Amino acid sequence: MKIQGAKKVHYDSGPNMTPLVDVVMVILIFLMLAGSFAGADHFLVTQAAYSRTGAGGAPPPPGGIPQDEPLEIRVDSPTPDRFHARFGQVSIDNNPQQLATQLATMRDKLGDVPVIISPGRMVKYKFLIDVYQSALQAKFSKISFATAR
Amino acid sequence: MRRAPMPHIKEAGVNVTPLIDVVMVLIVFFMIVAKIGVTTGADPSIKLPETILGTDLKTLSNTLTLNVREGPADEPMVTALVDGSNRQAQEVKILDKLTNRHPLRELLQAARKDNPDFRVIIRGEKEMAYRFLEPVLETCVEANVKNVAFNTSKAVEQAQ
Repeated sequence: MKIQGAKKVHYDSGPNMTPLVDVVMVILIFLMLAGSFAGADHFLVTQAAYSRTGAGGAPPPPGGIPQDEPLEIRVDSPTPDRFHARFGQVSIDNNPQQLATQLATMRDKLGDVPVIISPGRMVKYKFLIDVYQSALQAKFSKISFATAR
Repeated sequence: MRRAPMPHIKEAGVNVTPLIDVVMVLIVFFMIVAKIGVTTGADPSIKLPETILGTDLKTLSNTLTLNVREGPADEPMVTALVDGSNRQAQEVKILDKLTNRHPLRELLQAARKDNPDFRVIIRGEKEMAYRFLEPVLETCVEANVKNVAFNTSKAVEQAQ
């Protein structure tokens, strides 16, 4: 009598993937922890390349195109938590949205003239950025800060 | 003639192929997006002013980040990544009274010299008064740096 042995079972497992998965997972976790991604930062970029004063200031080249008469916004800070902006006949107290509206009116009237923000020495930087943003909202593109010199 | 029976084929555990596919895609994504070992010298402790508008700079390769905050003696404290190998922002004085030199101006002039697209990024403390920022802007003018960007943080729009 022929004794029938157990059937041979073939495991078609291919190459052992476990070390690969381990390494890949380690790499993945490392990249997730070590990488710094685009955060919540963005930038207000000045394009005031030629201006008599300000951050983008540089004298116009000889024979260069004369620039338009700039719009100067004077910014003061009557109290540490408020700012006051003035240009022309317009005077606005601590309201960036209203400032943007008024500046948009000027933009329609004057075109894209250079804007020079002329702040007092005690005005907080965050208020200047508010004014800067209002000018950007009004579609001005050449914005700079006045300096004492 | 008797044919040999086909061997029994059994699955060996869980099929990990889809897992590896997904993980590989994730790794490629993180390798492309993540900025590992790239530092601009930005001081994360500075509280930036918030804005709604603003643009994302595509590349920071031609830029120098200046961290500006209130310093002692009514002077600004400016830090920047002076030495790229150090990877630590160092203080850069506007005027060194001991040597009567202008280190910040010299730094900007050196960076601007062979690079017309050079740009300065200013990270200013939002509560800082303008008198601390003004000397930095003047130095930019003196160094003939035309491109200046102000780093702000995106304002979180509040739900109505």
